[in-house]
Amino acid sequence: MRRDWPDIWGGLALAAVGLSACGWALAYYDLGTLRRMGPGFFPTVLGAMLAALGLIVALPALRRTGVPSRVQPWAAAAVLASIVIFGLGLSRLGLVGATAASVLVASLPAPQPGWTWRMVLTLAVTLLTVLVFSFGLRMTLPLWPRLP
Amino acid sequence: MTTWEGLLYGIGFAMQPGVLIYCILGVVLGTFVGVLPGIGAMAAISLLLPVTYYITAEAALIMLAGVYYGAQYGGAVASILMRLPGTPQSAVTALDGYPMVREGRAGVALFAAMASSFAGSVIGIMVLVMLAEWLSRAATAFGAADYAAMMILGLVAASTIGTDQFAKGFAMVTLGLLLGCVGTDVNSGVQRFTFGQTEFLDGINLVALAMGLFGVAEVIANVRDPDRQGVVERIGLRRLLPGRDDLRRMGWPTLRGGALGSFFGALPGTGSTLSSFLSYAMERRVARDPSRFGKGAVEGVAGPESANNAAAITAFVPTLTLGIPGDPIMALMLGALVIHGIQPGPLMLEARPEMFWGLVASFGIGNLLLLILNLPLIGIWVAMLRIPFRWLYPAILVFVCLGVYSVRGLTFDIIAVAGIGLVGYLLALAAFSPALLLLGFVLGPLIETNLRRALLISRGDPMVFLERPIAAGFVVATAALLLLSLWQAWRRRTA
Repeated sequence: MRRDWPDIWGGLALAAVGLSACGWALAYYDLGTLRRMGPGFFPTVLGAMLAALGLIVALPALRRTGVPSRVQPWAAAAVLASIVIFGLGLSRLGLVGATAASVLVASLPAPQPGWTWRMVLTLAVTLLTVLVFSFGLRMTLPLWPRLP
Repeated sequence: MTTWEGLLYGIGFAMQPGVLIYCILGVVLGTFVGVLPGIGAMAAISLLLPVTYYITAEAALIMLAGVYYGAQYGGAVASILMRLPGTPQSAVTALDGYPMVREGRAGVALFAAMASSFAGSVIGIMVLVMLAEWLSRAATAFGAADYAAMMILGLVAASTIGTDQFAKGFAMVTLGLLLGCVGTDVNSGVQRFTFGQTEFLDGINLVALAMGLFGVAEVIANVRDPDRQGVVERIGLRRLLPGRDDLRRMGWPTLRGGALGSFFGALPGTGSTLSSFLSYAMERRVARDPSRFGKGAVEGVAGPESANNAAAITAFVPTLTLGIPGDPIMALMLGALVIHGIQPGPLMLEARPEMFWGLVASFGIGNLLLLILNLPLIGIWVAMLRIPFRWLYPAILVFVCLGVYSVRGLTFDIIAVAGIGLVGYLLALAAFSPALLLLGFVLGPLIETNLRRALLISRGDPMVFLERPIAAGFVVATAALLLLSLWQAWRRRTA
């Protein structure tokens, strides 16, 4: 039988997050009293609530069939990598370098072979970004890679 | 000055070329800035603040207000076409607006958003003109317990949004509330869940959260989607305009949303977010066929858009009449007034009538301009959908990164978007609603502050929530909603 895995894993993950938040808050933050709540009160209650709700989602799903969802690991990896490259590169490579690198990486999983269109895209997006953010909105960012 | 005299005087004032030009400038700039994901009214207003030194106080306020509600129109466009909401309010618009785009009804969705935004603004203006005094008194009558009870009602009412299972929705709200705890606790100064990272001291960046949960997750899901490699179908002008059926469906939700937004907008802090979620939840409740929601129901676009634009107008009530800014944007507006040596407050209406009435009239003129500006643009936005997705998404990602970076200037936030995006993608795979997480996140700190304050005032007696009539009303409504949801879930299981 094909179980409702998304709900099972999702519910269990939420329950785990709730439980650890609750435990962490109990261990490190002051609960206080109802009259004078400490910083730990709200997170403890919420963590416990989340743990309970996670189980309420997960447990009934064990006895239910579900639709499998299509996971796209390559698309996810390329998109997330392109964001990280932009974030890490912004101060070192400048706006131009970071944009170009991140666009190129992001375009990798696109279902269209060939490098020409990727180069054209990289150039176009970089130009547009510089025009809009650096000249249009006047954000103060280094444009070019910093020389050592 | 009576209301009518004031209004006529205001229209005359706002139509002066020297004032009108700043109104036009404000709304045009607001629209374009609003379309950029993550760059909202906040960034544009901060950018324009220095300009206001050189113009009169009235023109300055009218221009900044134009940016503010212009950005809401632009934000709706980004949220509907690309599922890139820059603010929690427009996250609601994406719930049904984006499915409409996937159905090939992008033009109708945009038209519904524009028309109901305009209608909502008009309702907000009418309420502002007629009830400004009453609204500001009602807003001050709300105590800490009332606020907390109201927001909890909002969370429970919204938990049915974007999911069939109440537990799943409520779990997302709770996760959002928990994420809202991250950062320095305002009451005790204790750093909660910061794990030694200074970047977490102010909490998680709201724009990073919205962009990661919606935008990035959506991009990942669509990169290799064959449907998105160019929507080649010809979209004629007829498809851009709503049919008679759509118009009929939009009418009541727009009116109800406008009324809801007008009231909640006047309450500092929570107004427009809560009202757009509540409007959506209400439309779903009253709809004959609630299953249409989330799959492209035009009511789900019209109601919330009307609500958040009405709220954007009445949000000026506490700012102008009491001198209390309801949110950071209103605080910036207040700052602009103070720069010009004007102290908003109860006396402003008598001391500077031209300011109040000019602003009110400029709301009307500005929204009319926005409608005229945006209707022809619908065709251009829809034409953009014919561009294959592979040409668009790398640019979207870069824009998202820069939008998030613009808020605090921390590259840490860009990296955070990647992490949040992964979580958002996984949540989308398991059909958990990111909009509810966002709502919990926004309201979390407000609920906690008001809850703690209420219990401090009542010396720890929880009965305060039943003794104050306003709070008691919200508590009873919350209990009724919970029972209704439980009963419906039970009936579904036995049926």
